[in-house]
Amino acid sequence: MTGGPEKHERLAERQDPGGEPAEQPIVSMLPSTPGRKVSTKKLVFTPIVIALALVGTYLWITNIPLDSIERNSLSGGAVRQALWQQIKLVVYSTFFVLVIAIPLGIALTRRPLRKAAPVATAIANLGQSIPSIGLLALLTFWLGIGPGTALVGMVAYAVLPVLSNTMVGLRAIDPSLVDAARGIGMSGWGVLRKVELPLAVPLILAGVRNALVLNVGTGTLAGFVSGGGLGTIITNGIVTQRTRVLIVGSVLAVALALLVDWLASLAELQMTPHGLEAG
Amino acid sequence: MDFWSFVSNRRQQLLMDTYQHASAVFQCMVVASVIGIGIGVLTYRNDRAGRLAIATTVTIMTVPSYALLGLLIPVLGLGVPPTVTALVLYALLPIVRNAIVGLRGVDPTLVDAAKGIGMSRAAQILRVELPIAWPSILTGIRVATQMLMGIAAVAAYASGPGLGNEIFNGISSLGSANALNQVLAGTLGIVILALLFDFALILIGRLTTSRGIRG
Repeated sequence: MTGGPEKHERLAERQDPGGEPAEQPIVSMLPSTPGRKVSTKKLVFTPIVIALALVGTYLWITNIPLDSIERNSLSGGAVRQALWQQIKLVVYSTFFVLVIAIPLGIALTRRPLRKAAPVATAIANLGQSIPSIGLLALLTFWLGIGPGTALVGMVAYAVLPVLSNTMVGLRAIDPSLVDAARGIGMSGWGVLRKVELPLAVPLILAGVRNALVLNVGTGTLAGFVSGGGLGTIITNGIVTQRTRVLIVGSVLAVALALLVDWLASLAELQMTPHGLEAG
Repeated sequence: MDFWSFVSNRRQQLLMDTYQHASAVFQCMVVASVIGIGIGVLTYRNDRAGRLAIATTVTIMTVPSYALLGLLIPVLGLGVPPTVTALVLYALLPIVRNAIVGLRGVDPTLVDAAKGIGMSRAAQILRVELPIAWPSILTGIRVATQMLMGIAAVAAYASGPGLGNEIFNGISSLGSANALNQVLAGTLGIVILALLFDFALILIGRLTTSRGIRG
């Protein structure tokens, strides 16, 4: 499927991440597409919408009479705790994903390990077809229940996009650039640090952004393996048939996902090397 | 009980769940493809409309599936309606985006030529542009199908159909003899279905790609 023209397009996009973000087809969820550049409008618009939704939900839920079950599920501490657990899950899992996936991606594009790369890609693609809830559930038989298990599942799941994007990003670099860098006397390490990684940044960041969004999503399932998080509130709402509880949990989870994606888009904007910005 | 005897004992139930899982994903994919290609056709010629369509579907994709279900349940109740709605919504991004990209990638001289020989606008789209964009669209459909397999599993918690029920039954009976078998059967079933669907779609791609652009 990844024939010549698609690769070509990817290169074009890489050199012009500020161009038309729409001009790139989705070939697979791995690698994730880079350069969904945020316009200034969206930059301001998104947090305003999120804030309005949160304030609206808060005003609504504090101004209606709640029955005892609803109060139990929503009394200040419970919601705050679930939100905090969810944030911790996302932050920790993303940290581990970065620490594992980027070095691994670099290693798999170096000469000694390059032969293992197709195997890694195949595993990554197959891994994508495992449903996240199934993965979490299977892990409990090995690791027991609790936040640790949820964390392992989230990391295993989100390593895939970052790994695959790191590899694609490094491989798509024009070899003549690497040659030129070697030619002016840079060491292998220097080339990697000063030429290859900066050029691969847009794709790596797109992978990280995708991983963050995945982590928020899988994080809402952590509750099923007693890992806490906003999913517990949603589950409470379903089990006790309290729509208001359900809505509070869901709105918070949606707001968190959009906020995390927004922050990631800011980071993408900040960290893209200037030479790669729209020309 | 070991896994294989579990599977043969529960054959009936497992086949039923597998069938329902496959059928839910298949039907939602048909609906999503029609809607997605429709949105693509309507928006690809307009820069702003195309961007809006993609931005909207990207936002949907950002929403955690369990949270989207949580928001749909108060409106649609439990069971099939929220499942179908969620699945269709999640499938839209890859299809819409690839339809727009594919349609925009059609060489304008071909469309001109079609116009020149007297084709109506509808004929241009149906007989020239869509066939050329089809491989890209089909790739979008494949990606969406893979995603839906996993999301359908989560939807089982909202009383949706399919193999997710096996997984959730296993979770709720952790410690019992068959918990692992149930989770394993549900998860493996979904992986196998995902592979089969992907294979079928590749085959469909071979058969339906216009001969002139076959690689």
